[in-house]
Amino acid sequence: MSLFHVTRQGLMAAGTALALTLGAFSGAHAQTPPGVLIVGQIAEPKALDPAAVTAVNDFRILMNIYDGLVRYKDGTLEVEPALATSWDISEDGTVYTFTLREGVTFHDGSAFNADAVKFNFDRMLNEDHPYHDTGPFPLAFFFSGVTSTEVVDDLTVRFTLDGPYAPFLSNLAYPTGLIVSPAAVEQHGADFGRNPSGTGPFTFGEWRSNEAVVIEANPNYWDGAPDLQAVVFRPITDANTRTAEMLAGGIDLMVEVPPVALSEFQGDTYTIHEQAGPHVWFLILNAKEGPFADVRVRQAANYAVNKEALVNEVLEGTAEVAAGPTPPAFAWAYNPDLEPYPYDPEKARALIAEAGAEGAELTFFVTEGGSGMLDPVAMGTAIQADLEAVGFDVKIETYEWNTFLGEVNPGLEGKADMAEMAWMTNDPDTLPFLALRTAAWPDQGGFNSGYYSNPEVDKLLEAARVATDQDERARLYKEMQVIVQEDAPWVFVANWKQNAVTSDKVENFALQPSFFLLLDDVVKN
Amino acid sequence: MTGYILKRLLSAIPVLFGITVIVFLIMAMIPGDPATAILGNFATPENVEKLNRDLGLGKPLVQQYFIWLSNMLSGDFGTSFALNRPVLDEVLERFNATLVLAGTAFVLCSFLGVIAGVISAANQYGAADKGITFVVLLGISIPSFFLGMMMILFFAVNLRWFPVSGMWPIYGDRTLGVLLSHLAMPATALAVVATGVIARLSRSAMLEVLRQDFIRTARAKGVHERGVIWRHALKAAMVSIIPVLGIQAGFVLSGAVYIEIVFQWPGVGRMLVDAILKRDILMVQGGVVFVAACYVLFNIAVDVAQSLLDPRIKT
Repeated sequence: MSLFHVTRQGLMAAGTALALTLGAFSGAHAQTPPGVLIVGQIAEPKALDPAAVTAVNDFRILMNIYDGLVRYKDGTLEVEPALATSWDISEDGTVYTFTLREGVTFHDGSAFNADAVKFNFDRMLNEDHPYHDTGPFPLAFFFSGVTSTEVVDDLTVRFTLDGPYAPFLSNLAYPTGLIVSPAAVEQHGADFGRNPSGTGPFTFGEWRSNEAVVIEANPNYWDGAPDLQAVVFRPITDANTRTAEMLAGGIDLMVEVPPVALSEFQGDTYTIHEQAGPHVWFLILNAKEGPFADVRVRQAANYAVNKEALVNEVLEGTAEVAAGPTPPAFAWAYNPDLEPYPYDPEKARALIAEAGAEGAELTFFVTEGGSGMLDPVAMGTAIQADLEAVGFDVKIETYEWNTFLGEVNPGLEGKADMAEMAWMTNDPDTLPFLALRTAAWPDQGGFNSGYYSNPEVDKLLEAARVATDQDERARLYKEMQVIVQEDAPWVFVANWKQNAVTSDKVENFALQPSFFLLLDDVVKN
Repeated sequence: MTGYILKRLLSAIPVLFGITVIVFLIMAMIPGDPATAILGNFATPENVEKLNRDLGLGKPLVQQYFIWLSNMLSGDFGTSFALNRPVLDEVLERFNATLVLAGTAFVLCSFLGVIAGVISAANQYGAADKGITFVVLLGISIPSFFLGMMMILFFAVNLRWFPVSGMWPIYGDRTLGVLLSHLAMPATALAVVATGVIARLSRSAMLEVLRQDFIRTARAKGVHERGVIWRHALKAAMVSIIPVLGIQAGFVLSGAVYIEIVFQWPGVGRMLVDAILKRDILMVQGGVVFVAACYVLFNIAVDVAQSLLDPRIKT
C-alpha cells in the first residue's frame, strides 16, 4: 500500500498547512473600536432619501441624518418642536404656520430656511416640480391634503390643507416628513438617495453596497453634537447570523432579536432593551358572511383565543396582550379602562351555542412572514387549536406575504372567514380610519377587509380626524375603542414590544415607542 | 475545434432566449407586485396604481417584455425598485462576490473530491476506502446551511477563529489574508456536499478504468503503481469525471444561495432571494438571465474541455 503511505504524508502536510493558516487568521477580526457604534440591521437600505423609502429598516438610519419640522418627544408619541420652533394652527384647522429655527445649515453647507421646506414638499407632491422625477415617493399621500406650501418669509412657512386633518403634525414627525437639502437634490438628482444631506446629528460618510452604511458625527448639530464619532449600519438579513455576530462581538447593537435568541443574551455582558410600540396584531373576521356575521360568534372567538399563552409561549414575552384596536403606546389616545377579552372557552362555547354556530367550518388565512407579523405561522397554528377547542373546524391556508396581501386587501368575501394582520402606525387615526370605517370597505379603496360597519364608529372617526384639539380627539378615540371592542370586528391579539440588545460597551441607549433608532446620545466605550 | 465551439455558442442563443421568456413569465405570473411590496400596509388600490405607473409598470405584458429584451440587448438591464440602482451594476458587483465564493468552493471540491475518489478506488474495500466513504456519506447527508450555522457557532462564536459573516471587515485593509479568513467557512460549507458527490463518482470512474487492459499493460511494463494510478488511470478517468465536475459547478453555484444567506456573503444568490421577496422584477429577471448565461457558457466550456481530452467525441 505504498500509495496510501504517500498520501498520508500528503494529508499530514495539508493538515499542517491548514492548522498554520487557521492560526494566522485567528484574531484577524478586531473588536469594534471605541466611539464607533456598529449596528446590526435587518436589511440593506433602499435609499437614504426619506421621501422615497417606506421601511422601518431604512428609517433607523434616516432619523440620525435628518430632522423634521417636528419630532416625537423622547419616549413618547407626542410631537415637539425640531426644525420648527413653534407653530400656529388656524381656527378651522386648515392652515398651519411654522416658525423655523434660525442658523441651521445642512451638512452640505447650504442654509435651512422656508425655501428649503417648500422645496421638500413640492418635490414630493407637485408632479410639475423639476425634481419630482427623483421619486417615486410612495408615502407622499401622508401629505396629500396639502394644497400649497408658501414661503411667508425666510423663517416662516405656511401649509394650507384642503380640509382639517388632525394627524398632519404627527405625519410631519414621520420619516416621510424629514427635510432634505435642496442643494444636494439639485446636485445629485436621482442619486440623492446615495448621497444624502440633511441637518441631523450625523452626516453621511459612505455606503458600501451590501456591507455597510457609515455615518459620522455632525459637530455643528443644533441640538448638541453626538458623543459617538461614527455609526456603522451593517445589513445582516438572517436573524441567526445576526445573533451570532452579536455573540462574537462583531456588532454592538442588534435590533429585532428573535424571541428564541433572547436567552442567549442573559447576564452582565449584554443589555436587553424592550419598548412597546404603536403596533397591533389582530385577526380580521369576515363580518359580512358566514359564522362571524353574528357578533356573538366574533366575541366568542375573542374569548376562545388564549392571548396570554400566545404572547408568553409563542412570542416568548416579546409582546403584550392587546385589549382593543388602539395600541397603548398612543398613551394620550388609549383608553386605559379597556380590559382585554379574558381567555374563557366556556363562555365562548356558550356564545357559539346561542348563535347556533357549533362546529362551523372556518377558513383562516395565515401568512409566512411580513412586516410586523411576528411569528405568524406558529401563532396561526396556536389560534387554530384554540378555536378548535371550542368546537370550530378551522382550515388554515398559508400564503407568502405579498401573495397574502393580494388575497386579504381586496376583502375576505367568498374566500375566508378570518385572516391574520398587523399594523404599525404613527398616529392613532391611521389604522381605524383605514380599516374600521364603512367607507373603508375594500371596494372603496380601504383596508376594512372584514366589512365591519357601525355608523357610530364612522361618526367618531370622522370627527376625530378633523378635531384640532388633542383632548377632544382623545375623547373620541377612547369612545370608539369601547364600541369596537364590544363589536369585535377583529380578534385583538397582541401589541409587539420592539427589542434590541446592546453590548456592555454601549451606554445611554433607549428604544423609542416610535420604533425609530435615535443614536445622538449614545456612548460607546 | 473552432467550428465546434462556434456551433455550441450558436445553439446557446435559443436557450438564452427561452430563459428570458420563462423568467419574464414567472415574474409576471407570481402574485403580488412591486408596488404592493413597497407600500405594505398602505397598498390601497389607488396608491398601488399610482406607484405602478410611476415605476413604469402600467404597459401591457407583451410590450413590457420586448422593451425589457431590447433594453437588455443594448446593455441596459433597468433599475432596481428595491435598491434604487442599475440592475447590471448590482449584478456584476454581486456576481464577483459569488464567483470568489463558488470558485473557491469549486476548486476545493474538485481537488479534494477527485483525490478522495482516486485514493478510494486504489484501495478498494481497504481501510482508506471505508474511511473516505464514511466521511463522504456524512458530508453528502448534512444540509449545507445547517453545517454553515454549526460552523459559525463553533469556529466564530466559541473559538473566534473566523469572523461570523460578510466578505470584508468593516475596518482595516482589504488584504488577501483578510478575505481568506472571511472565505474559509462559507467556502468549506459550500464545498462539502459537492466534494462527496465528486468523490463517489470519481471512485467508480477510476474503478472502471483500473479494470482495463492498458492498465494491466502499464503495470506489466513495470510502471510504478503511483504512476499507474495518477498518470495513466486518472487521465483516462478524467473523461468521465469532467462532466461530473461541470454538473457539480452548477450545484455549487445554486447551493451558494443558502450559504450566502447564512454567512451574509454579498453574492448574487442572496441578492436574488431578497429581490424575489420584494418583487423587484427587473432585478430578478436581470439576475437570473445573467446567471443562466454564465451557466450555459460554463457548460460549453466543460464540453469543449471534454472533447479535447477525448478525441472520440465528435467535434
